[in-house]
Amino acid sequence: MALQVLVVDDSGVMRSMVTKAVKMCGLNIAEIHKAKNGIEALELMRREAIDLLLIDINMPLMNGEEVVTEMRKVVELADTAVVVISSEGSAARVHRLEVLDASFIKKPFNPSQLREILDSLIDDRDKVETVHDTADSSLSF
Amino acid sequence: MNLVTPVSGKLSVGVSDLKISSGGVEQIVTHALGSCLGVTVYDPVTKVGGMLHAMLPNSSVDSAKAEKNPYIFVDTGIPQLFRQAYAAGAKKERIVVKVAGGASTRGANDLFKIGKRNITMLKKLLWKNGISISAESVGGDMSRTMYLYLATGETTLLIHGKDVPL
Repeated sequence: MALQVLVVDDSGVMRSMVTKAVKMCGLNIAEIHKAKNGIEALELMRREAIDLLLIDINMPLMNGEEVVTEMRKVVELADTAVVVISSEGSAARVHRLEVLDASFIKKPFNPSQLREILDSLIDDRDKVETVHDTADSSLSF
Repeated sequence: MNLVTPVSGKLSVGVSDLKISSGGVEQIVTHALGSCLGVTVYDPVTKVGGMLHAMLPNSSVDSAKAEKNPYIFVDTGIPQLFRQAYAAGAKKERIVVKVAGGASTRGANDLFKIGKRNITMLKKLLWKNGISISAESVGGDMSRTMYLYLATGETTLLIHGKDVPL
């Protein structure tokens, strides 16, 4: 399946860097969308069926953690794969993100680190989807 | 099962409703799609066609209501649309899917982004089932009336009094 990806960062340079890193990961990507803050990201996710979100923490208007918290309240966004990218990776924050079912990668990172996370995440998601689909035949047609 | 024996030229699909035709009917229509979604399916070989007019994205908000009328919700109505079309003779590999509606309407519905959430739910469901959308006219803030012509599979929309092909 080709993935719809969303990169969210208030820095244009970081958006470009993350986009480039994602492209180097060898995933089957349909499109990479970009947003410069949390509000824009949520708005975009209500319009588009995003499969993978890569998001910064420290942004104006709404930080990355708040965005993921809001997403998990909405049924359609509750199972979107999320990677939080930040230079601030305290144990408390990483734990909060785990509770939100979001992966964490610390800046600066190299593409192979990102790839490792994405590989495990996408594999996990595929397994979850398969189990879900098998279990819930009411959604199959 | 909403398979209809031909009795008239036109089938009307109400809100939270589904109609399927396997022939003899000229057109299926649903009126005034706002944030609701109108979805048509059509098999060009057997000329089986169907239309769903769903109001809300997710049946988890009221599963009792969904059990009583699955066509209220996108996640319960869409599987019914396809299954009933298959039962009437449509084949999945030939099926043509078109979508209209999902507009942002004023008032409480827009606060909850019902239109956009309807579209998102539909796309996720179709993606999970390996089905793509052939044409869509979604979003915006206009009301749409949707027609499916069963002889040709042509779908048209009436928007602001103008007939436009989809």
